[in-house]
Amino acid sequence: MQISIKGIRKILAAVVGTVQGTLGALAVAFSCFLYVNFFGLQEILKVPAGFLPLYMLILIIFGFSSIIGGLFLLTEGLESL
Amino acid sequence: MKMKRELGLFDAVMMGLSGSIGFEIFVLMDYAYFSLAGSGMVLALLLGGLINLLIMFSYCELSAAIPEVGGEYTYTKAAYGGLVAFISGSLRWLASVFGAALAALTFAQQLSYLFLRVAPAIEGFVSAQTSLIAIIVIIILAALDVKGVRKAGMMIVTIFLAIFAIFLASGLWRGLTPPDVLPRPLPEGLSGVLSAAAYMFPMFFGMRALVAGAAQIKNPEKNVPRAILLSALLIVPLYLGVAYVAVGVVPLGVYDEPFLNLAAENIMPGVGGILFAIAGMVAGLSALGTSIAVQSSIARGMSRDGYLPKILLSVHRRYGTPYVATIAGSLFIMFLSVVGVEGVPFLGYAASFGSILVFALVNLSLLRLRKKKPYLKRAFKAPLYPFTPIAGVVMSLVLLVSPILLENFYAISALMSGLGLMVLVLLTYYLRMVGRYRVRIAVGGISLGMGIFTALLICLIETGFVPIVLSPVSLYVLIFISVISILAGLLNVTARTPKIF
Repeated sequence: MQISIKGIRKILAAVVGTVQGTLGALAVAFSCFLYVNFFGLQEILKVPAGFLPLYMLILIIFGFSSIIGGLFLLTEGLESL
Repeated sequence: MKMKRELGLFDAVMMGLSGSIGFEIFVLMDYAYFSLAGSGMVLALLLGGLINLLIMFSYCELSAAIPEVGGEYTYTKAAYGGLVAFISGSLRWLASVFGAALAALTFAQQLSYLFLRVAPAIEGFVSAQTSLIAIIVIIILAALDVKGVRKAGMMIVTIFLAIFAIFLASGLWRGLTPPDVLPRPLPEGLSGVLSAAAYMFPMFFGMRALVAGAAQIKNPEKNVPRAILLSALLIVPLYLGVAYVAVGVVPLGVYDEPFLNLAAENIMPGVGGILFAIAGMVAGLSALGTSIAVQSSIARGMSRDGYLPKILLSVHRRYGTPYVATIAGSLFIMFLSVVGVEGVPFLGYAASFGSILVFALVNLSLLRLRKKKPYLKRAFKAPLYPFTPIAGVVMSLVLLVSPILLENFYAISALMSGLGLMVLVLLTYYLRMVGRYRVRIAVGGISLGMGIFTALLICLIETGFVPIVLSPVSLYVLIFISVISILAGLLNVTARTPKIF
């Protein structure tokens, strides 16, 4: 069976897209857990109260851009399936 | 296929009333009376009714000038086009889904009250599961909507009018006089009255059903404005009467039962509460069904104009219904219903704010269209122009700002959530305008940048330039994130994608 470069790119896009999207979703979920201090996360991770908004901002920007980027790749990977 | 115009003035007025008299009266008066305005609730309803009348003048003129399906979306599109029409449609959609979640929770709350009366042993279980009940009801109604089942709204309003007439007559029969009602304390003063007016404003919104249903009304240029004005005038004394009687029989305090059910039980012991619970459940179900259909129709309209993905226009092969738009909206409604009965004030304010902003846009559209298209045939003209639309805009903004100035937690939460959702809405519009390809390159660039930055940070930490100690697990996680981000960024930046919209 021959696999073209286009085929390899599609498989790679699907795999990387899935992983990146999952990482993004985890980052957003983690930022929510951090905000509501689920399981006392703020104390466990020793997050200073003043830095919480900054951490949240970084996690949310990373999370959403990863989700969007991941979905683009996943769509490309699944296009001709 | 064009709809047949077969409804006369009476039917149109009933349509306006059936849109207005709904579940809102059963759920919104609670918080407005006990927490915001006390007996000032009567004043708040009067104020709300007058502001509604002002706004309805603009609706009357616009519906007569542009008698087409689409209501607010069509008016703002004619006046401003593009972005403003998209914002107006999105706000209307958001108000519909927030309202739908509120309707589902009203059903759950009234069901809980019914169990309290008829089967107190299991009431505790039911009242603890209001979110779950709301979600189940949404699933059932969304499924019915996908299957194309419709209900009879006019019959429901006739029954409601009868129930409220009995309530009013019984209350007045008890000899309630103004001194029984008016000297009660106002918990938050005049600002509380304004906040209550904003909070209870959804009780008037349904009148817009007339604009949406203009396509079925005979001689719409004349009958739609007349029906809007008549129903706007009829609804005020009805609401005032119900509020007057209810405030007269329920003193301020802390209760576990909904306000209106409590009032009905005081007036008609043994049956009043149960009667109102059944009416509230029917109203909740009816409004939920309508809202699911309305949000789906707005989403499809915006999709047809190319603002939202075309997939929302997909029609079910077997039932011929717009199942994708229905299911997508219903999922969002379910998500909102998770807040439970405790979140009712939040949902109330959110639904109210969305619609108040749409009202302001409609008034601005009237001002703009008078200048931009003076040649439009207007069977009805808003009286005292330009005072009425300007007053409509100003009063909408007053209603919007009052609860915020009062630092009401629910209002501020609703406003912040609304702003967040509006950012998403504007992002969607931007995506539509610039095309998917450019957005993909931008997102790819961000991923690539983040990946390279993380890789650089790891190098600096490992070489000791940055004084942070990382555990081996954290280090591997960071390396993994960096590699994935760089790979994803490269794949996205080098992609060749045609526009999807």
